[in-house]
Amino acid sequence: MTHVAAANPSLPQDAEAPPRAVKIRGFGIGERSTLPISVATGLVIIAAWSAVSEAGLVSHLFLPTPREVASAAVTFYQDGYANASMWEHISASLARILTAAAIAVALGTPIGLLMSLSRWMKGVFDTPIEFYWPLPPLAYLPLMIIWLGIGEVSKIALLTMAMFAPIALSAQAGVRSVSIERVNAALSLGATRFQLLREIVLPSALPEILTGIRIALGVGWGTLVAAELIAATRGIGHFIMSASQFLATDFVFVGIGIIALCAFAFSIAMRLIERWLVPWKGKS
Amino acid sequence: MLRVDKASVYFSTREGRPIHALDSVSLDIGKGAFVVALGTSGCGKSTLLNAMAGFLPLSSGSITLNGHKVEAPGSERGVVFQKDTLLPWKSVAENVALGLKFAGMGRKERRERALDLLRLVGLQDFAEAAPYELSGGMRQRVGIARALAPDPAILLMDEPFGALDSMTREAMQELLVDVWARTCKQVFFITHSIEEALVLGTRVIVMSPRPGRIVARFDPTFVTAFARDRDATAIKTSPEFASLREQIRAIVHQSESCRSAAQ
Repeated sequence: MTHVAAANPSLPQDAEAPPRAVKIRGFGIGERSTLPISVATGLVIIAAWSAVSEAGLVSHLFLPTPREVASAAVTFYQDGYANASMWEHISASLARILTAAAIAVALGTPIGLLMSLSRWMKGVFDTPIEFYWPLPPLAYLPLMIIWLGIGEVSKIALLTMAMFAPIALSAQAGVRSVSIERVNAALSLGATRFQLLREIVLPSALPEILTGIRIALGVGWGTLVAAELIAATRGIGHFIMSASQFLATDFVFVGIGIIALCAFAFSIAMRLIERWLVPWKGKS
Repeated sequence: MLRVDKASVYFSTREGRPIHALDSVSLDIGKGAFVVALGTSGCGKSTLLNAMAGFLPLSSGSITLNGHKVEAPGSERGVVFQKDTLLPWKSVAENVALGLKFAGMGRKERRERALDLLRLVGLQDFAEAAPYELSGGMRQRVGIARALAPDPAILLMDEPFGALDSMTREAMQELLVDVWARTCKQVFFITHSIEEALVLGTRVIVMSPRPGRIVARFDPTFVTAFARDRDATAIKTSPEFASLREQIRAIVHQSESCRSAAQ
């Protein structure tokens, strides 16, 4: 039998060895996970940081050691900072961002949809949005304070303005991406204009709107420190600014780490929401 | 009865020079008729269908359905597209019931009607599936069921089987003839396959491009035998079929060469 197998190379020579699965050669980075590389990079950065700071090459005022940062984090967790616990600081920031996000979504989505459906709405809203959207929030922060005072209102207004534009713009992009065949199909099934909007346009635009919200949350975290510059007594942004005034670099590091963790958690949450709300994304 | 009366369509190009897409086309589609428009791409058959559906206004002429002027899309004219236009966020049954939902029918009633229609196209076991889980042929069957749901007077089909492989396509032709024979709908069907036109149509109109117009009309009778015996092979191998097919092929080629000569 052996010579038959040898004469016919397509027969498996050895039942144990699984066949080598192949696929078309791709372009770019392929499908293999980059997670181990990313984790290793993170570890290398921490190791380098640790080596540089522990060796005393740089003053601790400029670069605290990982151990100092860790103990600052423990102090912050146990004792709080400036008459407020760590959770009070974090929840103050979270409350501002989430409130601003809720307002920005509630205003930005319908306005974005209207702008893509009505020539008048597009014309009216285009001017102010295109004018203010590229401005850095720090530039109009003084106006917010002068107009709205130094309370919560001006902080949330600043965050809302920063988050509104990406949501409104992505809602418009979402409507533009609705295929005309899908619209015509619905109209020939007897859809009214309102039914068309609710059953076809809105769900079709949903993936883009969610992407816009994700971008807006990123912008929101970016604006948070600026918002909490204004006479805040609580908040992670305030915590960082206040610590920097005392040159408490280790506490600044802790604040940055907390913001990074929160932003990362938001990003994961948005991805889960996307998977739940638009399971068809990329499949049709 | 759907009546197209001297319908003409001009499109404007970017340079402002108008393109004559449809030139004074007249056509009647009576009760139970299966009219197939046949022609090469650019002959105006899709333009004609879009005008019938109400997606496209006419430059001149008129289209009426049972005496009422066609001016906008409406549920009395069901449309099946070449590209599937099912909604991925709805199940197959919900997609089929979409027109009934628009009409304000209750949830329970429209579900029952959707299941009936899915049975008609042989997809009763896929009511809860998502559209993207189905094959191309199955999605097109859902599209037919969805177009039938609001009980339209006429079914307008724009190369519905154009993107399917030839074996699926033959199965779909059989299914469509079966649905047509059972529901007695008027059908307007676009194709560029001569065989498909002959096997399905009670009337075949051959169209030629630039400007799009009807150059020949045939009234084949093969579809009656197809609906009865379900034997496409027997029809396609008969001498009558072959002679008509060659006749139409000659007309299509001639209109093509006239166009090249004119240019």
